[in-house]
Amino acid sequence: MALKDVLHDIEGYDELEREIEILRKYGPDHVERAEEAARIMAVLHPPRLSLKVSEIIEETPSTKTLRLVSAKGDLLPPFMAGQYVNLFVERDGVRTSRPYSISSSPTQTAYYDITVRAVEDGFVSRLLLEDTRPGDVFESTSPAGTFTHNPLFHGDDLVFLAGGSGITPFMSMIRETADRGLDRKILLVYGSRDPGDIVFKDELERIAARRKNIAVHHVISEPPEGYTGLAGFITADLVKRLAGDVTGKTFYVCGPAAMYERCLAELASLGLPRKRVRTEAYGPPKNVTAQAGWPKHVSADDVFTVKISGGRVLSAKAGEPLMVSLEKAHIQIPAQCRSGECSLCRTKLLSGTVFHPEGARLRKSDRQFGYIHPCVAYPLEDLEILI
Amino acid sequence: MAVYDVVVIGAGNGGLTAALTLARAGRKVALLERHNVPGGCATSFVRGRFEFEVALHQLSGMGTERMPGPLRGILSEFGVLDKLEFVEMENLYRVVFPGGIDVTLPTDRQGIVEVLGGLFPKEKDAVASFLDLVYTYSLEMVQGVFFRDPLISKEKYPTFFRYTFRNVEDVLDEFFTDPYLKAILSVYWGYTGVPPRLMPFSDLAVILWAYIEFKPFHLKGGSQALSNALLDAYLKAGGEARFNCAARSIEVEGGRVRAVVTEHGDRLETSYVISNASTVHTYLDLVGSHRLPQDDLLKIKGRTVGPSAFTVYMGFDCTPEELGVFETSNFIVATIDMDSASEKMRTLEPQDWAMFSCYDVSDPDFSPPGTCQGALVCLQYADPWYRVEPHAYAETKYRYADAMISLAERVFPNLRAHIEECEAASPLTHMRYLGHPGGAIYGFDQYAKDSAFFLTNQSSIEGLYHAGSWVTGGGFQPTLTSGRSTAHAVLKAIKGR
Ligand SMILES: Cc1cc2nc3c(=O)[nH]c(=O)nc-3n(C[C@H](O)[C@H](O)[C@H](O)COP(=O)(O)OP(=O)(O)OC[C@H]3O[C@@H](n4cnc5c(N)ncnc54)[C@H](O)[C@@H]3O)c2cc1C
Ligand SMILES: Cc1cc2nc3c(=O)[nH]c(=O)nc-3n(C[C@H](O)[C@H](O)[C@H](O)COP(=O)(O)OP(=O)(O)OC[C@H]3O[C@@H](n4cnc5c(N)ncnc54)[C@H](O)[C@@H]3O)c2cc1C
Ligand code: FES
Repeated sequence: MALKDVLHDIEGYDELEREIEILRKYGPDHVERAEEAARIMAVLHPPRLSLKVSEIIEETPSTKTLRLVSAKGDLLPPFMAGQYVNLFVERDGVRTSRPYSISSSPTQTAYYDITVRAVEDGFVSRLLLEDTRPGDVFESTSPAGTFTHNPLFHGDDLVFLAGGSGITPFMSMIRETADRGLDRKILLVYGSRDPGDIVFKDELERIAARRKNIAVHHVISEPPEGYTGLAGFITADLVKRLAGDVTGKTFYVCGPAAMYERCLAELASLGLPRKRVRTEAYGPPKNVTAQAGWPKHVSADDVFTVKISGGRVLSAKAGEPLMVSLEKAHIQIPAQCRSGECSLCRTKLLSGTVFHPEGARLRKSDRQFGYIHPCVAYPLEDLEILI
Repeated sequence: MAVYDVVVIGAGNGGLTAALTLARAGRKVALLERHNVPGGCATSFVRGRFEFEVALHQLSGMGTERMPGPLRGILSEFGVLDKLEFVEMENLYRVVFPGGIDVTLPTDRQGIVEVLGGLFPKEKDAVASFLDLVYTYSLEMVQGVFFRDPLISKEKYPTFFRYTFRNVEDVLDEFFTDPYLKAILSVYWGYTGVPPRLMPFSDLAVILWAYIEFKPFHLKGGSQALSNALLDAYLKAGGEARFNCAARSIEVEGGRVRAVVTEHGDRLETSYVISNASTVHTYLDLVGSHRLPQDDLLKIKGRTVGPSAFTVYMGFDCTPEELGVFETSNFIVATIDMDSASEKMRTLEPQDWAMFSCYDVSDPDFSPPGTCQGALVCLQYADPWYRVEPHAYAETKYRYADAMISLAERVFPNLRAHIEECEAASPLTHMRYLGHPGGAIYGFDQYAKDSAFFLTNQSSIEGLYHAGSWVTGGGFQPTLTSGRSTAHAVLKAIKGR
């Protein structure tokens, strides 16, 4: 005898069997749930966006805004002020991507603005600034990133420290605060090289003049003769002078890599607790060999071989993120933040060792089982990886 | 063209253990996962200096080395035990109700009788007899059903035949008068989302028994460590895994599985598929409702998509002691009216039932030195979230999370002040990462009519099988076990052909 022969002896079994019969006759059949997750996510968070450049706005001599609309003609997904899209581009036959913060307000999604500043020798920025025309279409990720206002613990008293193109996420937050009349106090301290290079200068001044809760200060690092405004870098003293008592305030920092080092050191001297300082991802370090822990015997120009398990072999420079070497060899792996924090590029390392800079956010067990984040992983010897 | 013995769709607990079992048996297996990490629910993510555990609060069925439980047996068979470090929790749970009831149950039977006997002296004997029933029931169930006693009968296993489908409320009424006592002993209803009035006694008895007998566990590195270890063993056994690679369709010909086509258009020829995706997605989207045998449509007809969860993940800048947290598992319940609490799971109103887990209490290495993390979770159906305007989503999510923190602060008043990182996940978040309808984390609702006796892990399409929560009910132990047993069914079928 087996269980199935005595099921009817279990008290209540027959009643349940009858209930199931009735439900099979009259119950919901789920047909309306076909593709449910895909349908809902297509509106909220599609895996890929197809973005068409509708306008190009010249902001400063070094900086342009690309206004991007959905190539399909529908609304773009919602995002939180401070998030970025990772834009895929092709240049010289190489497909790569770069994250750009959305600078427009999240109160509408008919378009996203991204605001791009020229970077010396920049591979992608040059393409976007010089070789892009209205009508061009790019693929991107959906908006992502955690450099956003979290009302659960950030409070409403915010200090934004921006450098150069790092103004973009703040612009979105400031526009949102102004558009929606949010009850948030914002102090923006914005560092630029020269007064002619301040992105969004007029709009920031207009908003600050109209909204009591938003204050804007520019700091110029290379002031022309006779400049009377704030000059130099953003220092702890300056912050204290502008912000007053810092307790209870939340600081957000976004700018080029060099600015983080300086700015975070300055903020540290104010004795702010860690939770009060939020920083945006900032891409791979400019010179990885200068990072703490980089092995002395490897130099940036050393070249190693990388074997893709069951596939090709390519060469990779020690000083270049593995993701870049892969892209140059026309091998694509998923990418989003290109800063080591989103884990989308997570890849299994079968042999060899790589260097991850300190900011790389790997899971403990990923380290244990040999996973790496190629967007910030630098080969230290010959490697074999699984894709 | 690639030909496989078996294609496994989904690398959640059920998919991983299915794929691993097959690969270890020498079969040629392809494992497809839409996401870029293995684990499904069993995963983690990093914010700042914290790595947040997504799903695992209390692992059941592990047992100690001296007294191994069934899950320890399975993991040791898979050869992953030595890669993982399990941490036993000291107590079963602390539960706090309004009106000053605040009690911590130890993990041993006599201890529970003493603690509850102290609080409810008149009912001390009843507590002992209730636990006797829980034990008798579970042992009969293990002996008779799990070990497939060929002589199973009503006479030999009277408790099993009598109590299986009784509802928890009835059984508690039979033993106890104090409503708080009943609520304390049935607080695990919130794990399944079915209130005591509807929860089958078999579920509560087995959950309680499994946690008391084999102790609740967590593991170093969280559930992602387990998922990584299982995948690692699978790769070492020669299995092939493709991530960022959803199955798009299952080709069926003459009533039999022929191939699986991926989102990238690759066609994997096979006669056997084990799907760890929801049965709803597998049948309606992958097979297609027009090609689906009537029988399969009936298998899901009338069943209702179960709850998802809402979790607030918090990294704190202080130790658990500084927060006043002294237990790993804390239930915070605002009412003893469980029916109304369970109804609220279908609304966006502040919830009445939440669980706060602080892993650092039992594993001080879980978060960086001087910090700790907490996962504050309640079950939530996705339906009210469908009605939220896309542009109001973030605000709604934060409002909901805020109400949950307020509920938790009734017991731990300082949580907010110590948050250093914080992320909230709604049913829509679970839907995005799992691809399940309703973002369901336990598959269908787990009423008595949905219990294992009425379920099958096989489709009427020949060669199509299922593993995971949609055919067993949710939870780590059941889904991990289910992958292995489905794989054995497939191995048997392959041999028979
Ligand atoms: C989350 C986030 C948001 C961002 N938002 C914005 C924004 O709103 N606006 C904006 O203008 N930028 C933004 N950036 C920066 C942007 O993504 C690009 O990094 C920037 O446009 C430069 O890209 P590029 O291809 O032009 O330069 P790259 O070719 O990447 O070169 C940049 C510099 O790094 C050096 N370099 C080149 N290749 C490498 C390499 N492999 N490893 C190390 N160094 C190398 C170059 O010599 C050059 O000096 C953001 C970055 C992140 C991470
Ligand atoms: C917040 C939370 C708390 C929980 N707490 C506990 C607890 O304390 N104790 C406990 O025991 N359980 C708990 N659970 C439940 C437990 O985690 C789940 O029931 C269990 O992990 C589900 O496993 P599964 O095998 O059904 O697979 P799932 O985890 O549901 O994974 C299914 C996998 O299939 C993939 N997939 C779907 N469609 C496709 C496709 N077309 N192609 C390829 N891949 C696809 C998905 O991406 C996913 O990886 C919790 C869950 C959550 C979310
Ligand atoms: S792309 Fe985000 S971690 Fe590499």
